[in-house]
Amino acid sequence: MRILTCIKQISEPESLFDLEEGKVSWRSPVRQRLSSLDEFALETGLRIKDADPAAALWAVTLGPPSADSVLRRALGMGADHAAHIITQDDPAPGPLAVASALAAWARQHEFDLILCGVMSEDAMQGAVGPMLARLLDIPWASAVSRLEVSDDGSSVTAEREMEGGRRQILELPMPALVTIQSSPQQPRYPALSSLLRAKKADIPSLAIEDLTVPPERAAILRTELPGRTRAGVFLQGNTQEKAAQLLALLRERALL
Amino acid sequence: MSRDNGQPMPGTVVAVAEHRDGRLAPLSKELAVCARKLADKWNLEVVVVVLGERAEVIAQEASRATGERVTAVQVPGLDEFHGEAYVKILAGLLPAWGAAVVVGGHTTSGMDWAPALAIDLGAACLTGVEALEDDAEGLCYRRAGLYGKVVEVMRPVSGPLIITVAPGAFKASSADAARPGLVEILEIAAPECRSRVLAVEKEVDQDSALTQAQVVVAAGRGIGKPENLELIRRLAGLFSRSAVAGSRPVCDMGWLDYRSQVGLTGATVSPRLYIACGISGARQHTVGMQGSDFIVAISNDPAAAIFNLADVCIVEDLTEFIPVLLSQS
Repeated sequence: MRILTCIKQISEPESLFDLEEGKVSWRSPVRQRLSSLDEFALETGLRIKDADPAAALWAVTLGPPSADSVLRRALGMGADHAAHIITQDDPAPGPLAVASALAAWARQHEFDLILCGVMSEDAMQGAVGPMLARLLDIPWASAVSRLEVSDDGSSVTAEREMEGGRRQILELPMPALVTIQSSPQQPRYPALSSLLRAKKADIPSLAIEDLTVPPERAAILRTELPGRTRAGVFLQGNTQEKAAQLLALLRERALL
Repeated sequence: MSRDNGQPMPGTVVAVAEHRDGRLAPLSKELAVCARKLADKWNLEVVVVVLGERAEVIAQEASRATGERVTAVQVPGLDEFHGEAYVKILAGLLPAWGAAVVVGGHTTSGMDWAPALAIDLGAACLTGVEALEDDAEGLCYRRAGLYGKVVEVMRPVSGPLIITVAPGAFKASSADAARPGLVEILEIAAPECRSRVLAVEKEVDQDSALTQAQVVVAAGRGIGKPENLELIRRLAGLFSRSAVAGSRPVCDMGWLDYRSQVGLTGATVSPRLYIACGISGARQHTVGMQGSDFIVAISNDPAAAIFNLADVCIVEDLTEFIPVLLSQS
């Protein structure tokens, strides 16, 4: 069984940035890491591999040359193979370009199961997974928090989350694509020795220009700071003063 | 379908209704409101579409609730939702309807069918749309980006457009429309699907103490470790009729039960007071609490998105702040 996980490198959420002429400009240096839901996707793939040692797990990312760090993390966690589709950082490709590049690449490798995070932590679009499934013409299920491979290895049973704590159970014949929601199956930490080995691994790469990618159908015109939907009063002073102000505010509103 | 400066050619704006247990989901009204705004802009027709085995009954409800024209697409064997079936049915119907824009919910189902349908229709797809905006060039769509810390102002450049709309972004009145809209019924055969829905389980009961609480104190990943939940509980203890809640990561890590989860896949609460502790403010959480009367947010990240919808913002390490607060109360 051949499993692919599609993963993305993101900036640490607390990283500081400015908006310059409608574009995000990081106050360098920014620490990068693996998007957490992709880490859950990797963990899902690794658990299938734990149960079936014959399974081979791949990790692929699209990103600038520095994005190889998330592939090394994936190898350190236990992925067998990695591949890097090199893209520009600015402008970053949109979901259609990402899904199209992944589809073009994945077609050459015949995967049985493709796993993605349900959305990236930063852009939160959640579009790449279902788009990739449709481009490859394979069945999909999104926001899946439990996944089981059938005994004969021909299908998966996926439990996907719906509103109000309800769960939909689907059966998908393979090849199939599943986007993974976070779950109690917390992603494993790579052993230091595996990380060191992964650091030296030779990761094959190709340029996105080498794949067939259609033009974007939507554009980001500009990026703005969000308006505040409420008063958004920042309490000032030291910790004691802020606590006193909060208590006064709550008493004023008869909440305390 | 061609478009100049984001303006579609005449046709329809289609809102894809959501329903569960044979009833229209309240979000569907918001989708109709959004579709109406778009349609009025370009002088297009609105069609609300209901897909399912018992679509007709739900379509009647939708026509009363929205006053819009509703098409019930009756599909044998299709219960409330199946992504692959939705995509195949909509891809078959929408081109003939001249759908310039398709509006779905930014929900677990909308996020399942909308991007996939964009491939079938050659459409642009914008997910999590929170507002529309007119500029000199035409209509733009605002969505949260970068952990919710920025707004991306976007515009489609080619193809029809599919959007998923954030719950709560387009306000709908709770009353029925003055006049119900026309209901049409379409019976079609079930599309051939490879995936199969086996069941829908209502595994997690919502915590009634949580949805009925007047004060909710919620913990996010920013609380750092499970031991700090004690602080959250003590803070909640200051108020009568209070409850402790958590964001999804806190429940995933087993620090709180899923019954305590607030957000897209958990409970929706609107207490008199909501205190968000160490919560970043991702949409998946805020859709569950944005209707609270008064919101206090405590986070050590001054740029946290949660501050954009809070009444009172406190930039502090909560393990230091809450004990001080408790000692002064």
